[in-house]
Amino acid sequence: MSWAITGVGAVASIGRDTDEVFSALLAGRDGLRPQRGFDQTNLNASQLFEIDDRAGGPDRPCRATGFLLDAVAEAVSDAGLTDLTGVPVLVGTGLRELRSVELWARGAAELTTDQLHFGTALRERFGATDTHTFANACSASLYALALGTDLLEQEATDTVVVAGVDSITETMFGLSDRVQLRPPAAVRPFDDGRMGTILGEGAAAVVLRRDTAPRAPLGRVRAVAVNCDAYHSTAPDPDGVRAAIVAAHRLAGVKPDDIGLVVAHGTGTPLNDHVEAAVTREIFAGVATQPLFAAIKSMTGHTSGAAGLLNLIVALRSMTGGQVPPITGLTDPIVEVRGFPLPSAGPLPCEATVAQVHAFGFGGINAVAIVEVGA
Amino acid sequence: MNGAVNIVITGLGLALPGVETAGDLLGRPDPSAAPVDPAARLGKKGLRYKDRATQLALCAAADALREAALPEQDGPDVAVVVSSNLGNVDTVCRVIRTLDEETSRGLSPMDTPSLSSNVIASELAIRFGLRGPNLTVCSGETAGLDAVRWALTLLRAGRAGAVLVVGVEPDNDDVRALTGAPRLVDGGAALVLETGESAQRRGVRALAAPHHYVRTDDPAPALRAVAGEPGLTLRAETTDPGWGAMSGALGVVQCATAVGWFAGGHREPVHALAGGAGLVLTATP
Repeated sequence: MSWAITGVGAVASIGRDTDEVFSALLAGRDGLRPQRGFDQTNLNASQLFEIDDRAGGPDRPCRATGFLLDAVAEAVSDAGLTDLTGVPVLVGTGLRELRSVELWARGAAELTTDQLHFGTALRERFGATDTHTFANACSASLYALALGTDLLEQEATDTVVVAGVDSITETMFGLSDRVQLRPPAAVRPFDDGRMGTILGEGAAAVVLRRDTAPRAPLGRVRAVAVNCDAYHSTAPDPDGVRAAIVAAHRLAGVKPDDIGLVVAHGTGTPLNDHVEAAVTREIFAGVATQPLFAAIKSMTGHTSGAAGLLNLIVALRSMTGGQVPPITGLTDPIVEVRGFPLPSAGPLPCEATVAQVHAFGFGGINAVAIVEVGA
Repeated sequence: MNGAVNIVITGLGLALPGVETAGDLLGRPDPSAAPVDPAARLGKKGLRYKDRATQLALCAAADALREAALPEQDGPDVAVVVSSNLGNVDTVCRVIRTLDEETSRGLSPMDTPSLSSNVIASELAIRFGLRGPNLTVCSGETAGLDAVRWALTLLRAGRAGAVLVVGVEPDNDDVRALTGAPRLVDGGAALVLETGESAQRRGVRALAAPHHYVRTDDPAPALRAVAGEPGLTLRAETTDPGWGAMSGALGVVQCATAVGWFAGGHREPVHALAGGAGLVLTATP
């Protein structure tokens, strides 16, 4: 079984809709800038991949909610829908509206508990009532996608909207500053010289349907596998990552040979990139033609709850447009990825029709999606 | 969505002031009873640096897993679904104050897990070795019943052989200020769900059967329309004896109350109502 994707939406530091984001990625443009939301005197690191929507003014609450509404509006309009009455909307997020909690705690903003989740705003804007906010760290949006496919399979609904979103919290930025004593100058996924990750803001949304009517799909979700390492609260475990990839192949009915493109989680941290690359190399060890291996976080930063679906949209666009974006900043690939065709010098031609998409999160929560486009 | 697979509750754990058994939930538990003491229930080992909500969740979960006779430390196909809206608000508020007073140099890396809102579910997985899907629901007042709904979905999809569901909220000055409530429940409940076939095969007792989840503006008539008249209707105000706001704990405590209702010999179904969510629970043969 597979599910039609009939609409997509994306917002990130490098663009305010899917076309803008994808063309920035192809051009190798990144959104890393001096941070604009926080008091620099409390912090050592000074660069982030923020969405520039404060117009030079002070920070304000509910920015994540705004990003989410923009991405959902684009996806819904792309799918030819107008209102979402009766349509389940599943939102994955790492940090919810915790930035608003921070502003509230300082007395800088009003906040009510019904603004902590996204259901209130989705109802006001789109009339959606069956709304769900999942706080599933950096794999949240692919976790939500897994549940969305389950609803289509099990329930009397023909359409599901799945989204992911995060804005940066000062507490997570502060902790990352505390543990990365030398702030990374850039995010360099799978590079020997990688120094760690930098947070980014973003949102992504897709409309999934049981059938393709009334319009041709942009691609199809074959399957999404989800699991948990049950190993460590912040470090990944190769066994859990491997189990998620193997399960995704099994659920999708594909073999490693069928996969033409991997869009990696690739956070630029020493540990994630090593574990992810080593396991992926092992999975594809026996195949005749190694898949293209892509990653976008050097340009978008680590967008946490949005990251998985952003990767998925990049996979679809790369396959339909025939070009995969470069991994900027990749000059000295780690040994584990050297066997894959790497878009390190610029975009590479992409003839893949089936892609594997990764998202891994704190707490060892792993999600792997298999998507395809029409041949 | 509801009829195809029979799913039952086979384990129950409670971490609520003044409550020992599910039957106590049907009386009037004393809300001024002493707070739950996780160190007394679990031992101090492994509780250090865990936030209050996580500690309460561990207490309830340990009992639920034990009653369901699941292995202590090995759950390759056991999923975790946690409902909590306010669990890490205290950590976020404390860290922002430290940041203002001492800059990022004053922060403790030990707070990192609790800044991410999935901390409760991931700590449950680590402590009990639960490697199935791991989900945290933060959808507001409906979250507890939503968590049961997603557990049903995971089981029907074959993504897990059993699901540990926990609904929990802590009490502290930050969450009181944010919610405007004079106090919060400072506790919660845990359930183990599995298919009836799995319960029978494993020889564990079915305590209740949850089904017919609805999400609509007015779930009470919607539930009656699909499932008939209830013997007991649980709303926020009839579930809480005076613990204060229950938020994400509400729906899971309602399921625990239903277990107590059936354990007391009642056979009529229970309708649980939390915000715009509703769920039917029926007695098992």
